[in-house]
Amino acid sequence: MTDDNRRNEQLARIARNNMGEAAADVPSEPIGLADPKISARGVNVFYGAKQAIKDVSIDVGMDNVVAFIGPSGCGKSTFLRTLNRMNDTIPIARVEGDIRLDGEDIYSPKMDVVQLRARVGMVFQKPNPFPKSIYDNVAYGPRIHGLASGKAELDEIVERSLQRAGLWNEVSDRLSDSGTALSGGQQQRLCIARAIAVDPEVILMDEPCSALDPIATAKIEELIHALRGQYAIVIVTHNMQQAARVSQRTAFFHLGTLVEYGKTSEIFTNPREEKTKDYITGRYG
Amino acid sequence: MIDTTPRFTVDGTRTAPTNWDSPDMRKRIARRYAAERRFKYLGMGAVILSAAFLAFLLYVMIGNGLSGFQRTEVALDVDFPALTGGTGAAALTGPSAENTAASLDLPGVVSVAVEAQYGETEVPIFSSGAWQIVQKRLLEDPALIEARQTMWLPASSELDIAAKEGGSAQAERLLAALRAGDAVQTGFNSSFLTGSDATDPAQAGIWSAFKGSLMTMLVTVILAFPIGVLAALYLEEYAPKNRWTDLIEVSINNLAAVPSIIFGLLGLVVFLNWFNMPRSAAIVGGLTLALMTMPIIVIAGRNAIKSVPPSIREAALGIGASPIQVVFHHVLPLALPGILTGTIIGMARALGETAPLLLIGMRAFIPTPPGGLTDPSTVLPVQIYLWSDEVNRGFVEKTSAAIIVLLLFLLSMNALAIYLRNKFETRW
Ligand SMILES: Nc1ncnc2c1ncn2[C@@H]1O[C@H](COP(=O)(O)OP(=O)(O)O)[C@@H](O)[C@H]1O
Ligand SMILES: [Mg+2]
Repeated sequence: MTDDNRRNEQLARIARNNMGEAAADVPSEPIGLADPKISARGVNVFYGAKQAIKDVSIDVGMDNVVAFIGPSGCGKSTFLRTLNRMNDTIPIARVEGDIRLDGEDIYSPKMDVVQLRARVGMVFQKPNPFPKSIYDNVAYGPRIHGLASGKAELDEIVERSLQRAGLWNEVSDRLSDSGTALSGGQQQRLCIARAIAVDPEVILMDEPCSALDPIATAKIEELIHALRGQYAIVIVTHNMQQAARVSQRTAFFHLGTLVEYGKTSEIFTNPREEKTKDYITGRYG
Repeated sequence: MIDTTPRFTVDGTRTAPTNWDSPDMRKRIARRYAAERRFKYLGMGAVILSAAFLAFLLYVMIGNGLSGFQRTEVALDVDFPALTGGTGAAALTGPSAENTAASLDLPGVVSVAVEAQYGETEVPIFSSGAWQIVQKRLLEDPALIEARQTMWLPASSELDIAAKEGGSAQAERLLAALRAGDAVQTGFNSSFLTGSDATDPAQAGIWSAFKGSLMTMLVTVILAFPIGVLAALYLEEYAPKNRWTDLIEVSINNLAAVPSIIFGLLGLVVFLNWFNMPRSAAIVGGLTLALMTMPIIVIAGRNAIKSVPPSIREAALGIGASPIQVVFHHVLPLALPGILTGTIIGMARALGETAPLLLIGMRAFIPTPPGGLTDPSTVLPVQIYLWSDEVNRGFVEKTSAAIIVLLLFLLSMNALAIYLRNKFETRW
């Protein structure tokens, strides 16, 4: 028990340090935000007959990073993928409930999925650059959405996106090299640059560091700090230290339900639910 | 240094450490290495055996076939001014040249010249088509007609065989006499590459069959490639996975294994009997072979598409590419090397196919190269089959030479496949 306590305190300290100036704006009310970017109500997801997400309601604001934590298989990825309708690509997946982006129902027939996915970008667990040049990787999104009116503008978008992803200095002199020739961490930042290039409003990250070494992980975390406020960011992580380091709000999932959602500092110092406490103290997961 | 500290098992009891030096253990390890060696030698043996077969095939074909590219030529003195009534070079130029040449009765001219120079012989000296060569040379160079010329013309096939491998006693005698007069030489048989099928092996050529093959392959690839690739794309990327698509998949796999002669029957019934398309035409051959090649392309295409990592699809979908953009920007380019390889394998099979084409009538005697897709034509393997059936000994070397041409055709197609695959291969 003393071990658990020590660990708990350590996480709480990390979370407190990380809150910084954003701490004041984070409301303590768990779900309802005054001005949510994404607002999900009563979401159920089924894979065939199996229910993977049960009645989840959550708000994601523009001004902070939200971490989804929980044991493996609890539905974090599944829920994340409902937010940009990536589950549409799985034939047996079925989504119920109400998910809104800026008040617009993203599952309504009027919603254009292609546009939605440009507005809600995604970074995957395994870095997945296209087997094309670094430049073409970043330029692909703007090209298919017609965001640049000429070569000069496209160049500018590519440079700006790589700069925001913290990769420009490392690759500016070899933009025509293959994106797959980069190191794992660089590839993941390239994927972030690719997502940023289409000027999204939300960025979803599904365990973006799980395939990376600690130094590359630290770089991605720095990047998430830098991007906070410009985009609404949701990050799935199985690493609680990481959740504490990068997020201002944390959602704890267990067996498909959202057990607890609140300020990261509160979740780690003073969880309301027994299950949350058990999980963050390492009792299971 | 062997570790001798005791180990713990799952239930906590101590056991002795593994003794890697015991005779039993040594024997086991030795057996393992022996098995490894055996396997290596077996594999090497298999490779050597197949290489030996290939080398033997090439040796036999080239040995028999190279002489098919050569022909024996005999000198003939032709006194053109006397034999053509003093026709001038001017008459053989301009638009009416062909008519003039026809009115000269060159077959007669040649036979008179032969008579004059060699008299009666037991076997013919010259190929019956020798006059055509005279005509061709005159049209190329009309000045020849104004003087007496010594022309080298192709020997008859009896003489040709006697010169190459030994023939009948009469032919041998005649050949010896001609050789004594320095009237025999060996030349490159260009008419084998440019000519068409003929009853006289000395005149028979491969060009019409080659052209027929080319046109048939063209029809096949134009039909089978796009349809096969589209079917593969639809089945992999769009079709729902249900009982119907399972059934289609099984049918396609079975179709790829159907004996080719059955496709020939299908072509006969559907294209010739129902649609009344022309017999022996390259278009019907191409359609029939396309039916046969399509399942191969679909299967190869599906495998190539399946091997494109799903993460690439997710990446493209994740930044808002539409399904069609995912397919055409990412999946297809990455699958293309595999699709091309499968296509070329299917095409190579189609190129060597004889049975289905026999059924749709492509076994006719075709003395002129086909001018279009609906003209009667034949193809290389059928030509080989027809020649191998001829009684005239002169066709033996033609058959082998035609096989060499077919093999070269196949080889260049495979080279193209390798080139295309390397060109489109993505380096990860
Ligand atoms: N494509 C799928 N088909 C069927 N079941 C799936 C699929 N993806 C995930 N699941 C199931 O849904 C549950 C939640 O999975 P997931 O969202 O990947 O969990 P997490 O990301 O939290 O580890 C798991 O039980 C998993 O087996
Ligand atoms: Mg997951």
